[in-house]
Parts: sequence; C-alpha cells; structure tokens
Amino acid sequence: MRIDVHNLDKRFKSTHAVNDLSFAVEPGRVTGFLGPNGSGKSTTMRLMLGLDTGSGATLYDGKPLTDHDPITKTIGAHLDAKFFHPKRTARAHLKMLAAESRVGNKRIDEVLELVGLESVARKRPGGFSLGMAQRLGLAGAILAEPQVLMLDEPANGLDPQSIQWLRDFLKSYASLGRSVFVSSHLLNEMQLLADDLVVIARGKLIAAETMPEFLARSQGSSVRIRTPQLTALQDALRAEGINVEASGATGLVAMNTTTDHVGNLAFRAGVQLSELTAHTASLEDVFLQLTEGQQDYQIGGTSTESDSVASIEGGAL
Amino acid sequence: MIAAFVYELRRIRSVRATWIVSGLYLASVIAFGALPLYLGSHEAGSPFIQNWKGLYNTPANFFSVVLLSVIAAQSFGHEYRYGTIRLTLSEFPKRERILVAKTSILAIYVVLMHLLAWSALGLVGKFAPTGAIISNAEGFTFSGGAPADLWKVLVYGLAYCLIAFSVSAITRNLALGIVIPLVFASVLEGLIMGINGLVHQRLNWLVDILPISNGQAWLSGSKDLPHAGLIFSVWVIGLFLITTVMFSRRDA
Repeated sequence: MRIDVHNLDKRFKSTHAVNDLSFAVEPGRVTGFLGPNGSGKSTTMRLMLGLDTGSGATLYDGKPLTDHDPITKTIGAHLDAKFFHPKRTARAHLKMLAAESRVGNKRIDEVLELVGLESVARKRPGGFSLGMAQRLGLAGAILAEPQVLMLDEPANGLDPQSIQWLRDFLKSYASLGRSVFVSSHLLNEMQLLADDLVVIARGKLIAAETMPEFLARSQGSSVRIRTPQLTALQDALRAEGINVEASGATGLVAMNTTTDHVGNLAFRAGVQLSELTAHTASLEDVFLQLTEGQQDYQIGGTSTESDSVASIEGGAL
Repeated sequence: MIAAFVYELRRIRSVRATWIVSGLYLASVIAFGALPLYLGSHEAGSPFIQNWKGLYNTPANFFSVVLLSVIAAQSFGHEYRYGTIRLTLSEFPKRERILVAKTSILAIYVVLMHLLAWSALGLVGKFAPTGAIISNAEGFTFSGGAPADLWKVLVYGLAYCLIAFSVSAITRNLALGIVIPLVFASVLEGLIMGINGLVHQRLNWLVDILPISNGQAWLSGSKDLPHAGLIFSVWVIGLFLITTVMFSRRDA
C-alpha cells in the first residue's frame, strides 16, 4: 500500500512543528524517517494517523484512512513503548486491540510467540523492561497483519539480538509487498534496514529519496593508506591531482578517489602498500552534514567544540 | 460500530480496578441499606423506620454514587493517563464511534449495577428484623428527603456518572473526573449556600444553578429549588456536549 503525504502542516502556538511536509512511502520497501530531536517526526506520524489535527492530507492507496475498513488491516501503529495499562495483562491488551480486526485467540498467541512474550502473556506489563514493552507495542501493531506498519523508535531499549531480529522481521514484512515506515535515532541500524529515507529538520523536508541516493550526497569518499614509502606515494598521488592528507607517521588519506585507482598508482610507482582501505560515507556522516545547525535542542547549546572543552577543563560543568 | 462496543467492553473488563470498585459499590449499597434496618430505632415515630421504596433508594446515597463515578471517570481517565487513547483512536479514527461506545457501555454498566444493587437490597430487606420495614411508613433516605421513584434513582446515578465522565474527558485527568464533582457536592455547594445565608440571600441566583444540589433536590422532590430537574439536566447535557466537541477536535 502506497502512502502519499500532502502538505502536512501543524503549529503549536509559536512553534511550526511540521512545515508543509510532502513525501511518499512506497509499498514493498522499508522507509526510514530521520530527524534531530524535536524535528517533528512523532507529530508527523500522529498527523498521518489522524491523531493530531492540522492541515494537509495523508492518503493510503489514494484514500483517507477513515475510508478504509477495517482500519487495523490497513495500518498498524506503534508510537510509544509505554502505551498500555500497567495492570492489564499483555494478552488482555492484545485481545482488546483485536476487537476492530476481529482476529482470534490463535493469532494473539502467534503474535505473542513471534515477539517472544509468550511466557509473560498473562503477566501485567507494568513491570516490563523497555525492551519487553517495545515488543508488546510491536505485537499490537502487527496483530491484524496490516498493509502498512508505522513504528516510532521501535528499537529503543532492545538488546542487539532483538534489534537484529527486528531488522530481519521488518525487511521480510516489507518483502511481502507491505509498507514499513519507521523512525529511529540509531543511524547505523537504519543504514542496514531502510531502502528509502525521509529526512526532516525543524518540521521541513530535507530529503526524500533512496538510501544510495542519500549516501551519494556525501561530500566525498576517501582511501586510507599505510606505506613505508610515504613520500614516493604522496608524490605519485599528487601528480595525478589527488588531494592527500597525512595521517600519522606512515599513513595517508587520499580524498575523492577509489582503492583501485590508488592501488594502480602505487603499483606503477613501485611503492609497497601495507594498508589500503576505502572509507565511504556512512548514513551518520551524511545525516550530520545535512542537519548541521538544524537541531532545536543542541547539546552544549550553541557553543563551539573548543568552548566546550575549555569549559570542561575549567571545571565549568 | 459493534467493534467499538467490543473494544470498550474488553477495555473496562480487563482491568482489576473495575471489579474492585464494582465490588466496593455493591458492598457500600448493602451496608447503607442494612444500616437503618439493623441499627436504627424501630419504635413508632422513629425516622429510621424504613419502607421498601426507601430501601431501594439506597443506591442514591452519596458515597455509593461517588464509587460508581470512579468507573465513569476511568472511561477516559485511564486512556489519557496511560496513553492508550492513541491506540484507541488509531483503531477508530471516527471518534464519534468511540464516544458513543464509551457512553453506551457506561450507561449499560450503571443500569446493571443498579439492578444488582436492588437485587441485593431485596435480600437485605427479606432478612431484615421484624418491624424494620413497614410498607406504609414514610421511609428513610440518606439525603433526607422522601424516597424517590426507582427510575429517578437510576437517572440520578447515571447523570452523576456522566458528569464525572465528562469532567475526566475535558480535563483528560482521571483524578479530576472523580474529585471535581465530589468537591462540588460535598464542599463547594454547601459553602456557597452558607455564604448565601451570611449575605442575606444575595447569592440566590448562584444557589439556584448549582449542579449537584439541583440534582439532589430533583431526586428528593424538594420544592426549595425551582426547576431543579431542568437545571441539573442542563449541567449534565452541557458538560456532555462540551466533551463531544473537545473530544472530536482536540489532538489525541
């Protein structure tokens, strides 16, 4: 199911939380939703679900959500790990959520087993860890096997094994032709998970494109080299117009080139290499480049790095 | 629409608080019903000589009604307190369905609890000491007035619950849904009446429109407050309409 978001807009008094946001979420793909803290990701998701009032429209296969029946077969949302009554058992929580889709007890048990909560199904979730609460929220979202999964920070609090399980699960869910729209602050995890990305900052769209397209926005990839013949290789690279920076006593970093190119040049110059490593831009690098200065809540306020260090050294903290 | 009913029914049934409060409500009705039968004087002229109508008025005693209102306040109070309102409205984006389901389930619950209370009071009356219930006696009520018709007892209980339901929905707060009507009924309205006496009835206009006093006056058939039923119903319906508008238009 394709989701088309058209001109979503939301203000909270003086704050323009979501500013004329438009993008699409394609079926059969995992779409990551990124943005700094306070950028409007959760508000956008709530607007898409009709939980918050604002202007603009979100269409699911060309129709508003209210025109789909049953809704839970269309979309399953997990917006917060702690959205449950602490005294209602995990199973009763899911049974309540199953009312709209009319799924039976068998499916409830299946889902509990899938998320690994079958042993605590009859326990009250008030004492659940954050990871267990996330699993319960996820179980509620996938209960009716919806065409769209919308998850807000589902990996928060999960251990590495659970994160890997979640990644595999979401990929396989999307591979069945369903849409997965997921926000996360874990950028390395998102790089492994998402096919497409929607990036916002201060409520505005920064990028909506595939992961390779987004990574190609990087200001360049580099090659890390170690050699005992540093000067000879440096001269050979510079003769080819490659920008080179020293890195330690025996290291170089060649900018905007590839390992193949450097390897060929070194061979032709008769230079022995001890290390030749490609350094491609990570999602984190590109994200930080694109959202630099667009955070509403910056750690250390607006001070520069040297200011912060000086403050720490001076005992200001 | 049926799904919304099932959802709401499963929501209230699956928390222990519903069962505990319901049990306390029934226990309180039985206790208050038995009190004048067992502890009151049954000599001629005693105000504690009960009749069946008076006994069946026991669910309208203030303590029991407040207990019933706890369940009413939980309808929205629990949902906002634990954030499940966002799950609920994700499943039912047509909000009027949830409002209708919550109101209907509450009404059914109140009717059911009154039926259970009356059944229990029937048993209490059956085993009451000889002379404690006399059919042609005036009858005793905790509010002090004459015993009301049973439909009025039911409507009063439902109306008080609707006030608690509306206040908790408007304030999105479980505690306020219980406490605000309670404070009005037990402190504020009495205080206003007291002040009115001190200022030579200059606040009569205010006393005439107090919600709970008018409700109790309507229930007991008191002539002190003219149009008591009308004013009480304006309060109940007015608060419910505000709830409807706010619930439909506010962010979840």
